[in-house]
Amino acid sequence: MHIDVRPVARLRGPNPVNVPAALEPLFVALSDAPVDPARLRVVCDWIQYRNNFCGPVECRPVLAERPGEHGRLGEQGRLGEHSQGGPAWAALDSLEIGIDLRRSGDVELAALVKEALAATADAAIPTGMVLEPWVPASESCIWRFNTLYWQALSRWEQATGREYEQALPGGESDARNTEAVHEMILELFRVWDELDARHALPQELYIVELGVGNGGQARTWLDAFAALDRGHGRDYYRRLHYLMGDYSAHVLDRARQTVAHHGDHVNGLVLDATRPLLTLGFLRGKAFCVYISNVYDNLPTDEVASIGGRPYLVEVQAYLREDEAAAIAGRHRVPAGTLAPLIERLLRLGPDLLAEAAPDAFADVGHAVALWRDVWAALCLRERYVPLEGLDAYRLSPSLTGEILRPLLGHGGDIRMHASNGALASFEGTLPLLHPFGRLLCHDLFLTEPAQYHCGFFGPGKYDGSVVNWVNGPLLQLIGNRRGYEVQIAPFTARPGSNIKTLTAQVRD
Amino acid sequence: MAVTGRASTARASTARASTARASRSSGASLAGLLPTTVVGSYPVPEWLERLKTDYYQRRISAQHLNEIHEVAIKAALKDQELTGLDIVSDGELRRDNDIDYLLTRIPGIDIPHRAKTDYYDYYDAALSRPLPEPKDAGLGLGLAADFAFTREQTQRPIKFSFTGPFSLSRRVRNTAYADPADLVRGLARWLNAEAHALVAAGADLLQIDEPFLAGYPEAVQLAIEAVNIVTEGVDATWALHVCYGNRYARPLWEGHYDFLFPAVLAARIDQLVLEFARKGPGDLQLFGQHAWDRQVGLGVIDVKSADVESADLVASRIRRALEFVPAERLVVNPDCGLRHLPADVARAKLRAMVAGAAQVRKEQRSGQHPGRSANTDGSAAAAGQARSPGNTEPAD
Repeated sequence: MHIDVRPVARLRGPNPVNVPAALEPLFVALSDAPVDPARLRVVCDWIQYRNNFCGPVECRPVLAERPGEHGRLGEQGRLGEHSQGGPAWAALDSLEIGIDLRRSGDVELAALVKEALAATADAAIPTGMVLEPWVPASESCIWRFNTLYWQALSRWEQATGREYEQALPGGESDARNTEAVHEMILELFRVWDELDARHALPQELYIVELGVGNGGQARTWLDAFAALDRGHGRDYYRRLHYLMGDYSAHVLDRARQTVAHHGDHVNGLVLDATRPLLTLGFLRGKAFCVYISNVYDNLPTDEVASIGGRPYLVEVQAYLREDEAAAIAGRHRVPAGTLAPLIERLLRLGPDLLAEAAPDAFADVGHAVALWRDVWAALCLRERYVPLEGLDAYRLSPSLTGEILRPLLGHGGDIRMHASNGALASFEGTLPLLHPFGRLLCHDLFLTEPAQYHCGFFGPGKYDGSVVNWVNGPLLQLIGNRRGYEVQIAPFTARPGSNIKTLTAQVRD
Repeated sequence: MAVTGRASTARASTARASTARASRSSGASLAGLLPTTVVGSYPVPEWLERLKTDYYQRRISAQHLNEIHEVAIKAALKDQELTGLDIVSDGELRRDNDIDYLLTRIPGIDIPHRAKTDYYDYYDAALSRPLPEPKDAGLGLGLAADFAFTREQTQRPIKFSFTGPFSLSRRVRNTAYADPADLVRGLARWLNAEAHALVAAGADLLQIDEPFLAGYPEAVQLAIEAVNIVTEGVDATWALHVCYGNRYARPLWEGHYDFLFPAVLAARIDQLVLEFARKGPGDLQLFGQHAWDRQVGLGVIDVKSADVESADLVASRIRRALEFVPAERLVVNPDCGLRHLPADVARAKLRAMVAGAAQVRKEQRSGQHPGRSANTDGSAAAAGQARSPGNTEPAD
């Protein structure tokens, strides 16, 4: 039996986490459970997000084969009918029991473990209201909720009474930190002065920002640039083109208004941050800075794992617990059986159109937003590990196979980590935009070493109405290096103690 | 006799030793009109990259890696033959990168840390004392053995390429020579010795690659001086490849080839291999302006793009070049090495290149000459047929 205690930093200090208190009821529950202890893995985490997708106890089957192969597992990937008489264990490499140490002291842990084991072992019919089939995490409907959040941001903000920036750790985007902005602009001036001295400075000076939010970041940057340029005396502002990219036209319009006083120096482009070259291909090799703040942690990601030396993909299934689903249906006066289709319509239409399309169910848009918020708050993910035939058979991004994960997954024993697919695609697509003397600058939640995955939980969590996952920094470094870029991740100096890190990438060799 | 190849391209103004060459066909001339070839490198499959890195991290032995390389080279040669290429290469598949494969073999170059995180990374190389003379060291660089293996695997003409002294010097931290030019010359002497060994092993078409030269146009005189040291007394057809960089499939520099002229006219080479697909045909006029009367290796395939060119596009690029260089002096090749392309894309591009060249070859032979007068020589084409099964068209 393998027991993995991850939040090791919390084992000491003024309020240490009580691991024995969590393990004792676990062993009580296991004493008469129909499971093979030799193939049990217990993973104790500290899930720092108050709003997240899992309960205090979760069971995660580690499948021996891919679902559907050799007819050993049904599509649901649960033990189901195979559990009769125990053959279901033949379909598993092992079973992982996840315990959230932050909540374990507040619940009847032994009962929850028994309940979770029973639900895993017994179930031709899965528990709860299932919202999707088993999928890689990046394809889960949680990302449709995430998209909805950004598309209908103003509705969410109206309902909560606060702007999204207030939900960020520092109460504002890190890109608006003026000290960091000044530092970056002065460095640009230094590079441009050098190029100019060699008659190698292009006439057009491009700066790109991906994910512009309300335009506050762009405004801070451009105002600072104009002021610093006046002092610098080289009239770079005249040659400056600041391109704002966002996938929401609505957000771009708002950002344009914020920087309207910079006139033609600013342009907005609707784009997908995970495929920047589709829109910005004309800038290949021309951008002196690509600026991305708090975007990568909000892009779809899978999780991959190495267990016993074998690679696995984490598959998830979104669902609502039965009692939660019943409560939501009752609160919104819809028959319980229509809730799942209604959620699907919400994700497809958004709250405005849904209210319009179903006036009997929603008196106004506010009621549709209330449903949205209720479902989001109750949304859970169950997980399972599905074996990968080979890392090269897993597509990490359009141009990369999972083979590049090998040095990270081979890092000291069992490990589970984010593939950061969206961030990776964005990163890969952004690097070619850089001028040979250009730089990618990114403020985000980055892990800096693979070993950190042994010591903590890094998502997914719910951040307001959006999804957050820490970004696999070592993977981005690896890929940047393979593309000929020096990639560094350093603490965000402008806000000491913050979890935010600064990633920079620039050409090497 | 063929008007392509080294016998015909010796300019009176250059000091090339050509007497021994005149009696023997070689390289491009063997392949007939508009011969097709590669610049050097061939796609490195992901699995091979992994195994190479495993070697540099001490997880597999040099013996195993050598056997893996041999299998990969055989496959690359077969690939090239199947695409119909006239002149093939070993794909440089044994090499970790364009620099270190050579620097690690030159005595006196100090490389303190030989493990690599990734096989393709550059070493940190230094030189604190002047290089020994090759004749004193008594050691070769091993390229002749590489060539000999390739020679055993194919009947086609082979191009063998290696990085030139100027580019090699740019990756060495030099504290040995007060004048950095002396390092370039010292490296050139080592390459010259190896070139002699290559010819002794049967090589007859050698190419010097200078991928860094475009970034230092002010150094072109020195680079050409060093090229002439490398080619000195070596009885082979010599090509010089100058590009704008292809490391990580990214150009290292921008600019125009005008910096090469007139300095390159003094180079003892037979062929200038340049990139035109990615950069466009603008610099073709330089050959006319500077009366370049030797061969041109015309880059017609963009190796930095995964988009596969059509045969028609390749043909149009060749026809455009014919406005400046006669067909008998054109060799058709990609812009640069193919190493960063997926293998299926590279094969498709080579097939398009071969088909495009065939289109223009046919036009030339039927008397449709869109460009300058070709004045093709049937005997050269016939000689090409003898050893070039990929070139399946009638010689004349």
